[in-house]
Amino acid sequence: MAIERIFKDEASEEKGERARMASFVGAMAIADLVKTTLGPKGMDKILQSTGRGREVTVTNDGATILKSLHIDNAAAKVLVDISKVQDDEVGDGTTSVVVLAGELLREAEKLVAAKIHPMTIISGYRMAAECARHALLQKVVDNKEDAEKFRSDLMRIAMTTLSSKILCQDKDHFAKLAVDAVMRLKGSTNLESIQIIKKPGGSLKDSFLDEGFILDKKIGIGQPKRIENANILVANTAMDTDKVKIYGARVRVDSMSKVAQIEGAEKEKMREKVQKIIAHGINCFVNRQLIYNFPEELFADAGILAIEHADFDGIERLALVTGGEIASTFDNPETVKLGHCKLIEEIMIGEDKLIRFSGVEMGQACTIVLRGASHHVLDEAERSLHDALCVLSQTVNDSRVLFGGGWPEMIMAKEVDELARKTPGKKSHAIEAFSRALLAIPTIIADNAGLDSAELVAQLRAEHHKEGCNAGIDVISGSVGDMAELGISEAFKVKQAVLLSATEAAEMILRVDEIITCAPRQRENRIHAWKMICTSFHQGGNFVPILTS
Amino acid sequence: MAAPAISMPSSSSKTESYVDNKRKEDIRQANIVAARAVADAVRTSLGPKGMDKMISTANGEVIITNDGATILNKMEVLQPAAKMLVELSKSQDAAAGDGTTTVVVIAGALLKQCLSLLSSGIHPTVISDSLHKAANKAIDVLTAMAVPVELSDRESLIKSASTSLNSKVVSQYSTLLAPMAVDAVLSVVDPAKPDLVDLRDIKIVKKLGGTVDDTELVKGLVFDKKVSHAAGGPTRVENAKIAVIQFQISPPKTDIEQSIVVSDYTQMDRILKEERNYILSMIKKIRATGCNVLLIQKSILRDAVTDLSLHYLAKAKILVVKDVERDDIEFVTNTLNCLPIANIEHFRAEKLGHADLVEEVSLGDGKIVKITGIKDMGRTTNVLVRGSNQLVLDEAERSLHDALCVVRCLVSKRFLIAGGGAPEIELSRQLGSWAKVLHGMEGYCVKSFAEALEVIPYTLAENAGLNPIVIVTELRNRHAQGEVNAGINVRKGQITNILEENVVQPLLVSTSAITLATECVRMILKIDDIVTVR
Repeated sequence: MAIERIFKDEASEEKGERARMASFVGAMAIADLVKTTLGPKGMDKILQSTGRGREVTVTNDGATILKSLHIDNAAAKVLVDISKVQDDEVGDGTTSVVVLAGELLREAEKLVAAKIHPMTIISGYRMAAECARHALLQKVVDNKEDAEKFRSDLMRIAMTTLSSKILCQDKDHFAKLAVDAVMRLKGSTNLESIQIIKKPGGSLKDSFLDEGFILDKKIGIGQPKRIENANILVANTAMDTDKVKIYGARVRVDSMSKVAQIEGAEKEKMREKVQKIIAHGINCFVNRQLIYNFPEELFADAGILAIEHADFDGIERLALVTGGEIASTFDNPETVKLGHCKLIEEIMIGEDKLIRFSGVEMGQACTIVLRGASHHVLDEAERSLHDALCVLSQTVNDSRVLFGGGWPEMIMAKEVDELARKTPGKKSHAIEAFSRALLAIPTIIADNAGLDSAELVAQLRAEHHKEGCNAGIDVISGSVGDMAELGISEAFKVKQAVLLSATEAAEMILRVDEIITCAPRQRENRIHAWKMICTSFHQGGNFVPILTS
Repeated sequence: MAAPAISMPSSSSKTESYVDNKRKEDIRQANIVAARAVADAVRTSLGPKGMDKMISTANGEVIITNDGATILNKMEVLQPAAKMLVELSKSQDAAAGDGTTTVVVIAGALLKQCLSLLSSGIHPTVISDSLHKAANKAIDVLTAMAVPVELSDRESLIKSASTSLNSKVVSQYSTLLAPMAVDAVLSVVDPAKPDLVDLRDIKIVKKLGGTVDDTELVKGLVFDKKVSHAAGGPTRVENAKIAVIQFQISPPKTDIEQSIVVSDYTQMDRILKEERNYILSMIKKIRATGCNVLLIQKSILRDAVTDLSLHYLAKAKILVVKDVERDDIEFVTNTLNCLPIANIEHFRAEKLGHADLVEEVSLGDGKIVKITGIKDMGRTTNVLVRGSNQLVLDEAERSLHDALCVVRCLVSKRFLIAGGGAPEIELSRQLGSWAKVLHGMEGYCVKSFAEALEVIPYTLAENAGLNPIVIVTELRNRHAQGEVNAGINVRKGQITNILEENVVQPLLVSTSAITLATECVRMILKIDDIVTVR
């Protein structure tokens, strides 16, 4: 007896061969999309937003591209996810991981077509990945003991990371900036205390590292522009009036003088609040909310520097780096932790005035000011620098270093090939396929640079059959070069993460033999309900949750 | 083995030949074509004899301008690469303030050359790197050509400001506006920080009526506002003591909602009386400090003054200017060397500013308030721009802004360079010969870069109605003979030593035009796909 229907109306189901096909094709399409951005001569993409404003982003960062894509294919989503995880974990190699996973699937597709069971492929891939990791581990260089060498390692890694990005022309400069910033962190991976400020104007070379913290705000009128040994109170409090927040509260009076009295009382309340704040013994007050004219004048009279409307991110960081706490009540001055810094002054970057807090409590805090021709350049520069900072901070902890330029892939491919020859049974086909997928990465790097990839990769392979070879692709001269001499290095952690997560993702997609798409939820209702919630926010601020059917 | 999507021609094994798949080529081509279309749109407005554009915006407003940044800003292009050119012009505006058309025209010419380089199979990143090198070399050449200038050399500063003004609608007034721009900038330079000029310290006030001739530099403060006065209030105060207040002289209003309950007639009378007393007591306090001019900050919550308070203020012989914007308060207090007062209780004599004269002046059909002879005036300046209609007035302001920027550039980087296409042709010559000693693709690309730069003299000549080919070849000839400063004299329609003709511009304008244009072109070259995202 045939079952009529298991699923809802619009749900669909794909099985067996078709399902595998769909996921292979989706994953490979994604890999092909970002493939051209790989390597120092990779190309950029324009991301055009379909939303309001039709914003344009120009980027080379795989994670950024994938994050913003519209994707419907389930397997493709898995790849986007591993790229995201790679971004969060190590910050770089976001493109490589997707490309490797794509290549692994491309190979798997052929094997499946040759009637090898997906499970056999998976176990082959697993063995290969373990072997490849082992090969890398044997070749790593660790210079943690030698500070001088370690620093030069960091510089090389930063330069290698940056060379595929927009900053490649000034990579020496930026590598130095990034290394200096990361060295200040002294081993912590908390990148929060490195602040990046973007200011249009000037050229990328004018970017600089400044110790301390820079706040993009103005100092109130008539207040000191420079304070030494500052005690800073960071607060999030309303500095207009303490409004009665109940809707419809009102005062009834019967004469004008009473209105004047109420007004006076309101002012008096504000004055008290300001007095309380001043009583903390501070000479700098930073508030997240607006400071109105009246309290501003009171602060000016007391010789206190008051900064209004610092954004949320701004005050959190400021509190962090100056060692203070964000206060919102001021009744107990002794319990509030104040922030301290040696000097607050107004500085000018480009056309804008900013406030610099130098000599802050948390010594590792610093600010990188990026300058560039346009917002596009600045945004991309920030993304690139962020990648470099992530990799560096990871490397400081795990100081194992590898060469770059396709060298690790060649090493891995060689070992995996060896393994394939030793392994009996069908698995060996899968292991061989794995090594071919690894070779695809140097191939793509060469292709993107417009080089003859087949020739170069063949040469590389021959080179790598000698022991202790440092050969990789030198994209600049378009030949096989010695990576040690060229100073191209990569962090071990990045490579390992690329290898393992790409294999895992491929495995996961291989295992799929059925895709079930659930019936989409009715959209109109949701949009309608959302609108209602929004309007209720706008109208009275009284949030009444609306239950939707 | 992964089947590569790219097929390599077997003949060129190691050359940097580039054959990409069809779609990517198309996108790059489409980008370049779109960007060039934008560049062509502003090309005709380059130079002293360039034409203006009339733009009618979506809301029916009409703008006539010669300023590249303004034209592009209003064009509302959608194509992403074209948008980048608009951004480019904005960046030049921020970096140098002038040369906003030049930078776009150069970018357009570079893109044209890139297209032919790409079609001959050179890899985009090779082109991009060569362009970067060429641009760096170009900066060196320009710096070598530049003439140092001192800030005390007022003549040279005026010359460069007038070069900028000559290409604008207001060019016939350049003799008036150029010295004004120079004086304005020099007066706000802080001797402690001689390299920095904050243009926000120069306030431009526009007032319809009169002609551009009547534009003046005011040592003091100008408000485009009437004095608020009831019958008999003063409109002219000598020996003024000025208070900038951030509170209002009107019946009290609380932040919490309030209502006055009136139950009978006598109560109403009392309320009216109380209101009078309230205001009167405020004015008495103000009067007690000797203040005789009030500047009141605008408030959206309540009226700055009421008829009643104006009446009392008039009696107390206090001049009132209301609705001073909050953003202007800092400028005003800096200029007057006073402190803003936020509450009547804090109204003290030491917070007041002093000036010799505050008066209301009628100009055409409107009136303005002028404060002159300020004691201990801050480093700020006001320029009062006049014009016979709104279009001229707006364009005059934009032109003046450009001139101010030019002078500012000279303050921050004190070098002058010849105008009239001379530096571009010289660059083209020197880069052309440099290209010959370079190897491989690089030399080829640098040569194209050199050729692209000729677009500036070519366009200058074309816009002036001269024969561009004759002029450019003649220029090349003169430069080859070592006349580094030979340029196009548009007024005479021939080639002369342009430095002697007083056509000069700041070095910063030229260098930033070259670097920014190159940076933008390189970015466009590196793009191989447009992805639509959320």
